[in-house]
Amino acid sequence: MNDARLNVEQVEADVLCIGGGPAGLCAAIRASEQGAKVVVIDKSHTLRSGDAGMGNDHFMCHIPDVQGELPGFFNKIGKMSQAVTKTFWENAYDLVKLWDSWGIPMKYEGRYEFAGHSIPGYPNFMLHFSGQNTKVKLTKQAKKAGAKIINRVMILDLIHDNGTIAGAIGFDVRNPKLLVFKTKAVILATGKCMRLFPQNTGSLFNTSTSPVNTGDGRAMAYRAGCELTDMELNDRWSGPKYFARNGRGSWTGVFRDPNGIQIDPGNEMPAHFYPELHENYQKSGRGPLYMDLSDISDEDYEYMKHFLIHEANTPILDFFKEEGVDPREHPFEFMTYGLITPGGINYNEKCETPLAGLFAAGDEFMSFYIAGAAVFGSIAGESAAAFAAQAKPLDEKRAQIPVVTAKELLESVLNRTDGATWQEANNAIQQVMADYCGLIRSETLLTAGLEHLRRLKKKVPQVLMAQNQHELMRCVEVLNLFDIGEITFVAARERKETRQYHRRTDFPFENPIIGAQTLAVKKENGQPVPKWIMKA
Amino acid sequence: MPAVIDKEKCNACGVCVKICPTDVYYGSKPKEIPVVMYPEECWHCNACVHDCPQDAIHLRIALNMQLVYKS
Repeated sequence: MNDARLNVEQVEADVLCIGGGPAGLCAAIRASEQGAKVVVIDKSHTLRSGDAGMGNDHFMCHIPDVQGELPGFFNKIGKMSQAVTKTFWENAYDLVKLWDSWGIPMKYEGRYEFAGHSIPGYPNFMLHFSGQNTKVKLTKQAKKAGAKIINRVMILDLIHDNGTIAGAIGFDVRNPKLLVFKTKAVILATGKCMRLFPQNTGSLFNTSTSPVNTGDGRAMAYRAGCELTDMELNDRWSGPKYFARNGRGSWTGVFRDPNGIQIDPGNEMPAHFYPELHENYQKSGRGPLYMDLSDISDEDYEYMKHFLIHEANTPILDFFKEEGVDPREHPFEFMTYGLITPGGINYNEKCETPLAGLFAAGDEFMSFYIAGAAVFGSIAGESAAAFAAQAKPLDEKRAQIPVVTAKELLESVLNRTDGATWQEANNAIQQVMADYCGLIRSETLLTAGLEHLRRLKKKVPQVLMAQNQHELMRCVEVLNLFDIGEITFVAARERKETRQYHRRTDFPFENPIIGAQTLAVKKENGQPVPKWIMKA
Repeated sequence: MPAVIDKEKCNACGVCVKICPTDVYYGSKPKEIPVVMYPEECWHCNACVHDCPQDAIHLRIALNMQLVYKS
């Protein structure tokens, strides 16, 4: 038994941004500009953390002078409300101009360039930008606007004050410190939820987007009483085989089978909207499928490399270089990765959540990629600053500040010397997710799996152990995954139809009546309870 | 291990320790050559390789992450 103790420190501000990615930083910039005192928390470091840490090359937007008018249906696509979609298209170009003025190169050779990441036959709406240092520039801008950035802190839970969210409790991931944030508004911007399902790539951290984005925002929002939606509607991606990495829309070659026969129409790569192509081809026995760059010109190859660098694919280019292999002469395989969770906090066009004082942005509900983070981060900052300006100060006596509970949990994990590592617990949840709530779902499987998951979930906080603050962070990530996993099971059991990757063998059809509604899951009496709501 | 530091080139400036998104360098001491404490948590993102002012870091791509190409 160890004797680790966490010292308690307090931080006060108007607005707390949880997560220092493009959404959290844009929120911090806008909220600071509105006069709010802002603190940004990142469990890594805002310069390079998260999915955008080493860059992104595509920014969804509409620039009328370049693209002309977009067809009307663009205002209706997306999984969030129509008001959110409309707000996105109305604001994205403004963010392009703003980012450009902050030193993020949104133009290529002096012009707005729309290429890659597109759907053949439709107008291209992905602006190719050179975003390798996006996070560096946004960090600089946030500081310039007056926001305070605290790196290497993970938030554990939100603080309530009479039904309003008024802060959060967290811990330093390098030093034995517990931090209490007393704020008037909170913005969740913690990104995606990886590491819930195995990615079929041989290790927990070999994931196509950041492996340390573990649905922390979704989990803490749920625990605070916020509903989560579309949690059962999982998605899949594809990319280079064994080196999981997003950016499939930046590769401009074609897919060929082992005999050199091309299996898609060309450079516009529909395959990035059909990620299971690779797995299905493999299953047919005719695979593997190769990304073949042999037909592209030197000029096009250099163009592709430029954007792959900005799309955070430098380690893949480095691999070829070190191997002494020219990828134009050596086609390489793509594969289909495991399930991911796009659903989450279904924030509205003002980035409000069902909880007063709580706002969300970016990939807390996956939509519109980095451009969505920019647009809705900024809007969240504006909304939170306005909310904070009229909010009453936190009532210390009335507020529920779970310092004792948090300390007890964290210190018990730190002081345990016999028990489970976070890896053991993470493997346990991935196993049950894949086998009972994965690509084959049915009432019997989901019921059996949920029962097992709940047994595990009860044990996990009693056995997890961490040797230091770093491992403590990983343990808390896994605890969040158990919450998200349970919610996913409950939602998957409730959705009695097949839709996208939610494949019910006992309901193998898409039900149009169900399609008109959205499935939300909310905590009631400590349990996740599903509820159907009308689509907004 | 994925991140390999060239001890001859490293000037112990600590940039990699500061920015690593997964904190594989946890426990490294200021003004000393960083240690890769959690190599299995390297995302192979290249942030440390890119930001190292001494060009002292390269990634050894893990065996289970090697790309599969045609000879």
